[in-house]
Amino acid sequence: MVIDDSRAMRMILKRIVAKLNFEAIEAADGQEALDLLATMTEVPELALIDWNMPNMNGLEFVTKVRAEGRLREMTLVMVTTESEQSQIVRALAAGAHEYVIKPFTEGAMIEKLALLGLVPTGVNS
Amino acid sequence: MTLSAADFAFVSALVRREAAIVLAPGKEYLVEARLIPVARQVGASGVAEFLANLQRRPNAADQRRVIDALTTNETSWFRDREPFTALSDVVLPELARTRGPANRRIRLWSAASSSGQEAYSLAITLQEHLAPGWTYEIVGSDISTEMIKRAELAEYSQVEVNRGLPATQLVQYFERAGAHWRVTPGLRRNVSFKLMNLTAPLPPMPPFDVIFLRNVLIYFDVATKKAVLRNVARLLRPDGWLFLGAAETTIGIDDNYERVAAGRTSAYRVRNAVPVGAARKG
Amino acid sequence: MSDPVVTEGDLAEMVEQVWVSYLDPEGVSPLVVHGDNKQSSEVHSTVSITGSWHGHLVYASSQYAAKKAAAAFLAMEPDEVSQEDISDVLGELANIVGGNVKAMLPTGCFLSLPTVVLAPDTASYYPAAERISGLYGSWEGEPVSISVWQSMKQEASA
Repeated sequence: MVIDDSRAMRMILKRIVAKLNFEAIEAADGQEALDLLATMTEVPELALIDWNMPNMNGLEFVTKVRAEGRLREMTLVMVTTESEQSQIVRALAAGAHEYVIKPFTEGAMIEKLALLGLVPTGVNS
Repeated sequence: MTLSAADFAFVSALVRREAAIVLAPGKEYLVEARLIPVARQVGASGVAEFLANLQRRPNAADQRRVIDALTTNETSWFRDREPFTALSDVVLPELARTRGPANRRIRLWSAASSSGQEAYSLAITLQEHLAPGWTYEIVGSDISTEMIKRAELAEYSQVEVNRGLPATQLVQYFERAGAHWRVTPGLRRNVSFKLMNLTAPLPPMPPFDVIFLRNVLIYFDVATKKAVLRNVARLLRPDGWLFLGAAETTIGIDDNYERVAAGRTSAYRVRNAVPVGAARKG
Repeated sequence: MSDPVVTEGDLAEMVEQVWVSYLDPEGVSPLVVHGDNKQSSEVHSTVSITGSWHGHLVYASSQYAAKKAAAAFLAMEPDEVSQEDISDVLGELANIVGGNVKAMLPTGCFLSLPTVVLAPDTASYYPAAERISGLYGSWEGEPVSISVWQSMKQEASA
């Protein structure tokens, strides 16, 4: 799942995860993402989440997801310009599994996902 | 000012031979653009002069600059992962088993430490996995004073810290320094850097338990590889471990080493000095 | 006078990282800095910073440079991108650079969502602020600039 209020950024992320054989579902903010998740029978393996979005920001989304047992298996990765130490700590404490700071290269994103065991063998950056 | 066909051929051959990179024709603009800062860095008047000098007098450092400029833009933390996993999962437990209580100290050498990421990656691995009661020391060395300075400064850009470093370790071992991230004093405390040329006689140093000599040998011809491995062997403890780059080996170059399995990768140990109970050739 | 809190050098580094990550991954088409702070623009985007520090970050460029940026993000040709795409990318570029600028400011700052204006950037937009730093350059012949504005009254937010 790719959650960012910028369509351009969603496109970048979609292209990258497509290389890892992921099909991306898009949402423009946290609320839209939660609404979509409520309708889905199969929970996505991975969510890439921006922080600053209208309606519901990424931190709130992470908190809500981690509170819902049904969504326990989702790996949550923040992808954001928020890069203060305290922000990263907050996100990790709220339950995000990883954190990617914008701007990121494709290689860096794939490496971060590899850390989480989400990169099929044979794919290199 | 475009790259001559001869210069492009020279660079293509160099990177294909040394880094298995294939530069298709049509990439002259790329080579040119990437080599301009390199030429400037070494004080040449331009790419043509830099390449002319390099062809006339080959030297490993400049060859390496060319290769670095044409491969990835950023090096990585915990590059290739597996040697670091081998360190925590195989090497440290073995040392814990075989060392007496008075000898709970581990020395590591990151030979060709570049901007320091390997040395600090080793430090993080030890901080996380070394048993209480143990101390460690890491020495990083490089042939370039510029690299030594950068490694000592221990400051990395946003883009660099994105690369292979878990976020939990970023916030634990780094602190903000303007737009950059700097390694915390706590982690830097046990890491030092020395200027060193691996092909020359090395300064006397206490021997090391673990040596990372990764992606250095590939830049040298066989005779130099032998010399470097000989120099390095003198500084490796009899029960020590040598880790090379993924595509490198001592086999066919130096018989004094034996390849052994180390987790999911290989390491090299001094032949006939391997203590009983250690992993054998994999 | 001491260095501004964000210098031209800092902005140059941020720009280089944005280019390498999204707009010029091969490293052959960088933003070439020329320093002409009078260069004109045709479109721009802004993020505001509030909290411990008050000001704005403005990304401004020609229409064509904005098209090229959108094309890079969306993997399309410049002529295929829509106005909406351009607005979106301009906003995201201000967001990314703004976020990096915020990281250099005192802790306790907040970044607004971006505003995009498909019209030239002028100083009259920020009457209560002064430009403290800027990066002015050319991307394949097209003007691109990034400027940091500091509000003249730095009051702590309520």
